[in-house]
Amino acid sequence: MVGLVIATHGKLGEELLNAVEMIIGPVRNARSIAVSRESSLEDIRREMQGAIQAAGTENQGVIIMTDMFGGTPANVGLTFLEPDKIEVLTGINLPMVLKFFNSQEGIALDELAGILKTYGQQSISLASEYLRR
Amino acid sequence: MSIVLARVDSRLVHGQVLEAWVPSVKADCIVVANDAVADNDFQRSILQAAVPSSIKLVIGSLEDTAEILNSAQMLKKRVLLLFIDATDALRAQKMGVTYSKLNLGNMHSGEATNRYSCTIALASRDIENLREIEERGVTIVAQCVPSDREQGWHKLIRFEGQRQ
Repeated sequence: MVGLVIATHGKLGEELLNAVEMIIGPVRNARSIAVSRESSLEDIRREMQGAIQAAGTENQGVIIMTDMFGGTPANVGLTFLEPDKIEVLTGINLPMVLKFFNSQEGIALDELAGILKTYGQQSISLASEYLRR
Repeated sequence: MSIVLARVDSRLVHGQVLEAWVPSVKADCIVVANDAVADNDFQRSILQAAVPSSIKLVIGSLEDTAEILNSAQMLKKRVLLLFIDATDALRAQKMGVTYSKLNLGNMHSGEATNRYSCTIALASRDIENLREIEERGVTIVAQCVPSDREQGWHKLIRFEGQRQ
């Protein structure tokens, strides 16, 4: 089972997990990290290291999802990037996280990460465009 | 070339810089003056990808920064200049990078430090470096994001040695 670490500005990650559990019930192998203005890079790195270990107990790899490419959570996440072991996916959204938990078993890390990237992008829609079709 | 913001930020390019400072100071160019990043292809490409294409990004070693800033490509640019710590900001000054005002954003020195504001923790070495920068005629202020009140850095260290 692939593990998940969500690292975000503020408690966005924690609340995304809360939202997920509201929809599909308790989830496993997931951790969130809140980056605040007070956090030093060393603190964030240490916390992320611990979260990766806690989420990746089954050795099937871990996906680090972050809110924004170029932001501190993503910048720190990228320092853990390790093909086939740790993937980093930015631009997190709720459909992407839900899809993760519906797919985390019996799939290779890189394949799952690729699917989630596409899925996250496709989950964005502008409602008025449907009207014009 | 005009330096619209010279900033010390241990996080270098990140959310506060891209989403708050760039629009606020209307920068169209970010210069990262940092030896380690300049020397690391992976970090360079990540930074390049993080900065929107409408903003020019130049990454250089401290030694190269003065030359970069004075080059023809920078002639009309509004530059946001980033240093990772006060040591680099001082070294750059000594190597001919002339900024008249220095913004302290995020400073979390790894050494034994005292916290002076929510985003600024300084070791005595940082304070020495900042004093030296100030002696060179630079105004030093603390302001994490544009919506924060700008504060002279002396106000921060008024209670030097005390934890806030």
